[in-house]
Amino acid sequence: MYREVLPLLLASAFFCSAQNPISKEYQVKAAFLFNFTQFVEWPQNALLNDDTPLVVGVLGENPFGSYLEEIINNETVESHPLTIQYYSEVSAIENCHILFVGADKMEEMELMSDSFKSKNVLTVGDTDDFIYRGGVIRLFIEKGKIQLQINIKAAKASELKISSKLLRLAQIEKS
Amino acid sequence: MGLADIPIKRKLLRAILLTSGAVLLITCSAFFTYELVTFRQSTLSQLSIIGEIIADNSTAALAFNSTSDALEVLASLKAHPHIEAAGIYDNEGELFAYYPQELKGSNLPDSVGRGGYRFIDSYLIGIQPIINKGNRLGTLFLRSNTGAITERLKLYGYIVLIVILVSVLVAFILSRKMQGAITKPIGELANTARAISDRKDYTVRATKFGNDEVGELTTAFNQMLDEIQVQNKAIKSFNSDLEDRIEERTSEMEMANKELEAFTYSVSHDLRAPLRSVIGYSMIVLEDYSNKLEDEAVQYLNIIISNAKRMGQLIDDLLAFSKIGKREVSKIPLNMEMITTEVLEEIKDVSKQVDININEMLKTKGDKSMIKQVMTNLVSNALKYSMKEKEPKIEVGSYHLNGDNIYYVKDNGVGFDMQYYDKLFGVFERLHNHGDFEGTGVGLALVHRIITKHEGRVWAEAEVNNGATFYFSLPSNSKEIE
Repeated sequence: MYREVLPLLLASAFFCSAQNPISKEYQVKAAFLFNFTQFVEWPQNALLNDDTPLVVGVLGENPFGSYLEEIINNETVESHPLTIQYYSEVSAIENCHILFVGADKMEEMELMSDSFKSKNVLTVGDTDDFIYRGGVIRLFIEKGKIQLQINIKAAKASELKISSKLLRLAQIEKS
Repeated sequence: MGLADIPIKRKLLRAILLTSGAVLLITCSAFFTYELVTFRQSTLSQLSIIGEIIADNSTAALAFNSTSDALEVLASLKAHPHIEAAGIYDNEGELFAYYPQELKGSNLPDSVGRGGYRFIDSYLIGIQPIINKGNRLGTLFLRSNTGAITERLKLYGYIVLIVILVSVLVAFILSRKMQGAITKPIGELANTARAISDRKDYTVRATKFGNDEVGELTTAFNQMLDEIQVQNKAIKSFNSDLEDRIEERTSEMEMANKELEAFTYSVSHDLRAPLRSVIGYSMIVLEDYSNKLEDEAVQYLNIIISNAKRMGQLIDDLLAFSKIGKREVSKIPLNMEMITTEVLEEIKDVSKQVDININEMLKTKGDKSMIKQVMTNLVSNALKYSMKEKEPKIEVGSYHLNGDNIYYVKDNGVGFDMQYYDKLFGVFERLHNHGDFEGTGVGLALVHRIITKHEGRVWAEAEVNNGATFYFSLPSNSKEIE
């Protein structure tokens, strides 16, 4: 996926002088979303069968453009095929394993917090208060690189096992 | 010094040390090689384990682009003393992070090839794909020097050396102690044998150590010495017996000889006297009374006189023969040519018609009168027996042979039958009738006696009616005579 993305990136950087810098950021965030599937373990009842699809969802406005499809389509993680769902409303969410919550959907996320926990949803967001409002992983930019902040308690509450390798990279929030 | 000449002790020691050394060397080499091979394997597998661990730990760093985390993971390689360089490459082949921090860029390859761990030149190179849950994230490059192997080799080398040295030392000490059991008995035996042969003392016996082959050798050796002693005694007593007997015989013979000589001398002397009377008185009768006697009586008287003279000649010869026995042989230089000439002068009358040829006569040493007698006898014999020939010829000469001078007198007379050669030089032996040739049978015996006294040899060759040649040998020393 990186192999496909980078030439595209370069090409677009070359041809689109009026490049929106946020696009690059969201390309990388899309890649991160994919990578999270490899460093997080969901409980058995979230992925019942070997071929149960692993759903990557986006709640609210889609900031990734087509990158998410490019990265995730036709990929599998441990024989679970990856699929993408776009939700405009929280109520539309049925089965979702990773959910990217847009900035405008924060209140809805807080309301659904119990539901998300029982459904073992890994919530990912990039607002400053994402963690304080119940999110599991927050993406933020520091020193020109995208860093991670992870709420262990929230992860535990959702029965999500996050690989120590991932935890090592991130700022840990315990409260 | 050939291998066979080295003393037994050293031979044994060398054999044992060489054997132990060779065995040790082979064993140590085998283990050394085995260790080397397996150690290389284990170094390789160790690196591959490290590679896998590092790769596994750096998945997240690669996935989430965290260089600092990757560096942290690589930094743990510090613990390995032989890993010189490491690098993490992303899926595009770009270098993502490297170790150690001081490393210059040229020390890491620009791109990495196929995966695997192998020895390249003097390095151990590892290429480890970084995979998480089936997804390839990048590649890990590791380079380790073979210092571990070299160190191990050195360590083993020292151990082998020490082991070999200690073992050889122990082998040396042990074998020195134990070789005595073999070499001591042998050495003692050799010493005893040498002592016996040096001093010719056959009473010495060798000490027996143990009942092995050397012990058997010692016993046999001692038995041989017993035999030698017994035989020596026997020989000595036999020798002294012999010597006693020889003395006896010699004195017996000497006595007999003396008696014989005395007898001959006195007999000849006593026989001479009456003979002189016979001859003398017969001649007086002839001179004074021949006119009163008949021819027959005169003839008878002549016969008496000639026979008596003959007898006198015989007695003279016998006397001369016995005298020779008594006299010492003087060894003065002789001029044979002169002697021969003198002899021929004295018999000039008789030899007038004969063709006498004198060749070179080599000089020699001896008793002059005796040798002259020899020449006289031989030459007169030659004359006597060739007189009847139409053209009597005599040849006298000499030649050199094997350090002796050989003199010969050759005639072309009546010769003799070689069948009777044994009787030739016997006393009173005659091979011809008295009617054909005069003679007493003593002449040649005298020649034989004289030449034998000069420590020479006499011999002859002849054919009936075809002449005879008589030879005698005298020592040759022409150098001393000049």
